[in-house]
Amino acid sequence: MKKSEMRQELINLGGGAHALAIQILENPQDAADVVQDAFAKVLSRPRAYDQDRGPFKPWFLRVVRNRSIDLLRSRRPVETVDGLATLAVAPDQAMEIAQRDEELQRALSELSSGQRQIILLRDYLDLSYAQIADVLGIAPGTVMSRLHRARLALKEILESYNDPT
Amino acid sequence: MIQPENPAEAHINELLSGYIDGELTQQDWQRVDVHLAHCRQCADNLSDLRALRKRMGQAQLGNSNTDHWREKMEDTGVKISRGIGWILLICGILAVIGIGVVGFLTTSSMGGWEKLIIGSAYIGLGALLISVVRQRLIERKSDRYKDVEI
Repeated sequence: MKKSEMRQELINLGGGAHALAIQILENPQDAADVVQDAFAKVLSRPRAYDQDRGPFKPWFLRVVRNRSIDLLRSRRPVETVDGLATLAVAPDQAMEIAQRDEELQRALSELSSGQRQIILLRDYLDLSYAQIADVLGIAPGTVMSRLHRARLALKEILESYNDPT
Repeated sequence: MIQPENPAEAHINELLSGYIDGELTQQDWQRVDVHLAHCRQCADNLSDLRALRKRMGQAQLGNSNTDHWREKMEDTGVKISRGIGWILLICGILAVIGIGVVGFLTTSSMGGWEKLIIGSAYIGLGALLISVVRQRLIERKSDRYKDVEI
């Protein structure tokens, strides 16, 4: 892949990668930094991506996921994670998130990190089950059941918002 | 959660996700189709899951503004070139200072006392400069409101 093509791909993938990093880090600013770091890393070593081993999108998302997890591990001892509720009040980047999606984001924040990621990879980023397994490093045969459990959990949470009794 | 009446179809729930994602084998696809034809509960569940998937697909969960990411990418290039620029500038200044110090110490046109007095004045100036720069850097790092625009 040419570097100019890679740059364009990265620009297009920025939003999705940001959303994935937010689900892991629970902080939009840290997530944006991770995506920017991933851009720098990928562009400084474009040959690290081997086209024969699959499409660019899941490969780059795996890079973003790994960097997010590294950051999470490094900050875990000093910071407490209050969940994605903080996203709703973050002044700058949260403004980008439309008000109508706040409820969905709140519901996602009640899921486990793994459930958030698997739903996002399938329903937001449109990855196939094989690609999801590759990004998450799990067995392809387990994707369907994990995804289904995550969807049911999300559905239940959203229903509880509309029916608080 | 739906509990299918027929135990043979105990996994139909999870197959619903595979069904809407187009990830089932032909055999499983037909099995779900047959089941959906007579199970209202699963048909409703399928419709709910489809709606949820659509909602997720249309949501805005990250910053999808491509101009923003283009700028971030350019920032990365600028950061790298700026870093290289600073390194070269500092190396150049240190080399010039080094040459000056060696020339000053080895010159024979000045006595030892003169060298000591002039040297101490320059060292004092350098120490003050370092102290001010250090103080500024500490302030900048610890200022929680530095990004607040007024």
